[in-house]
Amino acid sequence: MIDSREASAALNEIDAITRRVRQSKFYRVSSVSIVLWGVLVALGNIVTFAAPFFAGLAWISVYVLGISGTVVAAAMENARSGTRTYEYRMLAAFLLFFAFGFLWTVGLVQLPPRLLGVFWPTYFMLAYAIAGLWFGYAYVAIGVGIATLTLIGYFFAGQWFELWMAVVNGGGLVLGGLWMRRA
Amino acid sequence: MADLDDIIHQPLRLRIMAALQALPPGEGLEFARLKKLTGATDGNLGAHIETLAKAGYVAVDKSFVGKRPQTRVTATATGRGAFARHVASLREIIEIGG
Repeated sequence: MIDSREASAALNEIDAITRRVRQSKFYRVSSVSIVLWGVLVALGNIVTFAAPFFAGLAWISVYVLGISGTVVAAAMENARSGTRTYEYRMLAAFLLFFAFGFLWTVGLVQLPPRLLGVFWPTYFMLAYAIAGLWFGYAYVAIGVGIATLTLIGYFFAGQWFELWMAVVNGGGLVLGGLWMRRA
Repeated sequence: MADLDDIIHQPLRLRIMAALQALPPGEGLEFARLKKLTGATDGNLGAHIETLAKAGYVAVDKSFVGKRPQTRVTATATGRGAFARHVASLREIIEIGG
């Protein structure tokens, strides 16, 4: 027979493991869409650097493919695990997120291309960092890390800014996603 | 009266069962992932999984992914029930102890 202190320690151990398993599972599921966004963002920046004329089309494609891919990945995971969770709320969150971004960058203020190239990544990474406070600190690390590297590129990368962003934003998301799969 | 499950009560087996019951029924964990989550060593984890499997608390599924062998461990309905009763007993002990 054990005493109440030992019983309490055992329950705390169970809680800690349960949290770790759920966080690990969430990281694994979300890492698929993070890697997808990383690849798309890298391609978007490379197209913007190499063929600026197609930049608008490239970024619309990035957003459409990124949102669709994320929602499909969530739906597939829900079907696989037999749980219904968040794909509709996720789609609504994306739409609100982009509506706010476009309202300010296209509607109310016409940001020049280079500032647009800073606004969207830092805006995305702010959302990552905030989400990370609830869903796991890997998101905070990715958000703060990429936002910082974006600002460094804005001030110091000169004409190579888009390529810098392809590496730090696209590459950062891919590496972050792969890291989360192992966490 | 609190009735602890002797099989689950061992610290590593408690961690194994806690990890498996955190997943939806029927969903399991690969051996390597379970090892990482519970902080166990290979030999230690294998021995305790065997004990749990003998009691009918977990199911062990061995397969190949490509050329790599993969061991997946899943909590059975019996194991989930036993774990739930064990947790209830732990809570009872706390209540009785104040």
